[in-house]
Amino acid sequence: MIFAQILISGFSLGSFYALIALGFSLIFGVTHAFNLAHGELILLSGYLAYYLWKFSGASPYWAVPVCLVVMPGAALLLNLLLRGVKAPFELNSLVITFGLALFLQNLMLWGFSADYRLIQPEMGRFLEAPGLRITETQVMLLLLSLAATGLTHWTLHHTFLGKALRAAIQDRRAALLAGINVRRMGLVAFGFGGMLIGVAGPLYAQTMYLYPAGGLEATLTAVVITIFAGVGRTRAILAGGWLLGVAESLATFLLGAGWRELVSAVLLIGLLIFRPHGILAKGEG
Amino acid sequence: MTGNSRLSQALALGATLLLALWPLAWPEADLYFQVFGMACFYGVLAVAWNIYALCGAISLGHAAFFGLGAYGSALLSHYLGWSPLVTIPIGALAGMAYGVGCGLLFRDLRGVYLGLATLASVEIPKVVIDNWSSLTYGSMGIVGLAGLPDIRLGDLVIALGRDLKAQYYLLLLFLLMAGLLHRYCLFSRWGWALRAIRENETAAAMAGVDIFRQRFLAIILSSYLTGLGGALYAHLLGLIEPALVFNLHISALPLVLSIFGGRLQLYGPILGALCLYPLDQLILQPRLPTGHAAVYGLVIMLTIFFFPQGVASWLLKACRRVSN
Repeated sequence: MIFAQILISGFSLGSFYALIALGFSLIFGVTHAFNLAHGELILLSGYLAYYLWKFSGASPYWAVPVCLVVMPGAALLLNLLLRGVKAPFELNSLVITFGLALFLQNLMLWGFSADYRLIQPEMGRFLEAPGLRITETQVMLLLLSLAATGLTHWTLHHTFLGKALRAAIQDRRAALLAGINVRRMGLVAFGFGGMLIGVAGPLYAQTMYLYPAGGLEATLTAVVITIFAGVGRTRAILAGGWLLGVAESLATFLLGAGWRELVSAVLLIGLLIFRPHGILAKGEG
Repeated sequence: MTGNSRLSQALALGATLLLALWPLAWPEADLYFQVFGMACFYGVLAVAWNIYALCGAISLGHAAFFGLGAYGSALLSHYLGWSPLVTIPIGALAGMAYGVGCGLLFRDLRGVYLGLATLASVEIPKVVIDNWSSLTYGSMGIVGLAGLPDIRLGDLVIALGRDLKAQYYLLLLFLLMAGLLHRYCLFSRWGWALRAIRENETAAAMAGVDIFRQRFLAIILSSYLTGLGGALYAHLLGLIEPALVFNLHISALPLVLSIFGGRLQLYGPILGALCLYPLDQLILQPRLPTGHAAVYGLVIMLTIFFFPQGVASWLLKACRRVSN
């Protein structure tokens, strides 16, 4: 029974991780910008949801549409910022978004204080059995994450825009030759990634404690899944998220909650050592 | 060329004398001793970061070496009761050991991927120390660490632990030594090899540079110096906890100061530290007690956009224009 519990929390957490990684991987795939401020943007969206919930008293899920509108705006501003970056683009974008992460972290510290915050709505148990407990929050986490991932998959694989996005991810020069405006695709990727960040924020605020320095962990999660799965591959990202979620649940069960943070860091280092030239090497070779 | 280096030597000597002599005019300015002392301290960290960056490696995780050096020295001093003068150089070896591990494991990583790996590498010692409560007291940390001892020279007693002016001179000396080391790193045969690797690794390898060996030496030296900084920090503060030393801020600050000052120039990292840290502490901190460190994030973004070579390169160009 305890393993069923581990699997359930692993899968619901893992679907959420896939959602976090999806936005990162889309932005990176199309624009080659390593956005180290990804986690901070999710935190911002989470704080927005937290304050909406706190001051309106409505269900926290009402914050989702608001974040869906606000966060793409923030992501597009970031796109504007990164457009001016000179070569070497990847390294410079890494350093700039690292600076942005530091900036946003301090801004949140100033605006929201260092206290831990969590959206705790009055919600019942979805299912209660001996040795097994599933909360409604977990079910909503799973459903919303899967819905967003499914929608992204459908957009990428069954629409004309998705086809153009995938072309831009696979080979930018060929996409340009085929008449795709790669610059505009970057804009679309940032907008779409911003919407995914917008969905992730309210879910984050219900699942994990919000505090200004917490963004790095979400960023590392996104990076590790992206490097595991490759860019723009929705199904592989979902599988990677599940693996990471189950691995973290197992680590929490076997070693204790304090060791959970280690899992993604060790996996990231291991993956990088195993694939030193990163995710794009295959496409460029 | 010689005229230029003579000019920059004269400027460096002048700046050193200014830093060494201003306390004579203001003997009671404790706040300024503290702020400029810490500016010197971060200057050392920036130099240490830059030694590894000479070969083109942008590390986002120097807090790992800093924190391990700090814990190495703090634990030795706490359990064995040795003097900080002994535990600081020994404890810093913990940071260096991690540097050796990183140097070996990350030997094939470059650019962005090296940055990501170093960013993740901070989490490992942090989580281990956080959870190993029986040895490290976990997230509570250790308080009441021994401060730096008094040094007696005949009748003269230098109270490094209590007197802020003495601490300032100690940190200034630390910075001068780091500056000399940086000079050696830049202009020695080894430094040329490192910079050749940065500019074009394939060409450097063809010219007979042993890439792995030179990069490995760079990270060893850099991690030891950073570990020394961390160890000194623990005893200056008298307390230590994982969140304090394995902090994004500690990883970011040397990078920001170094790139802002000019990471290609001899005095760049030091200039960055001496300008930016006092600006933050003396002007921004009193007005914005929480969140004033946002300025470092802002500065690094502006630097990459507007003067990617850093302030020192820009100043050097201006000096050249004036002297011509």
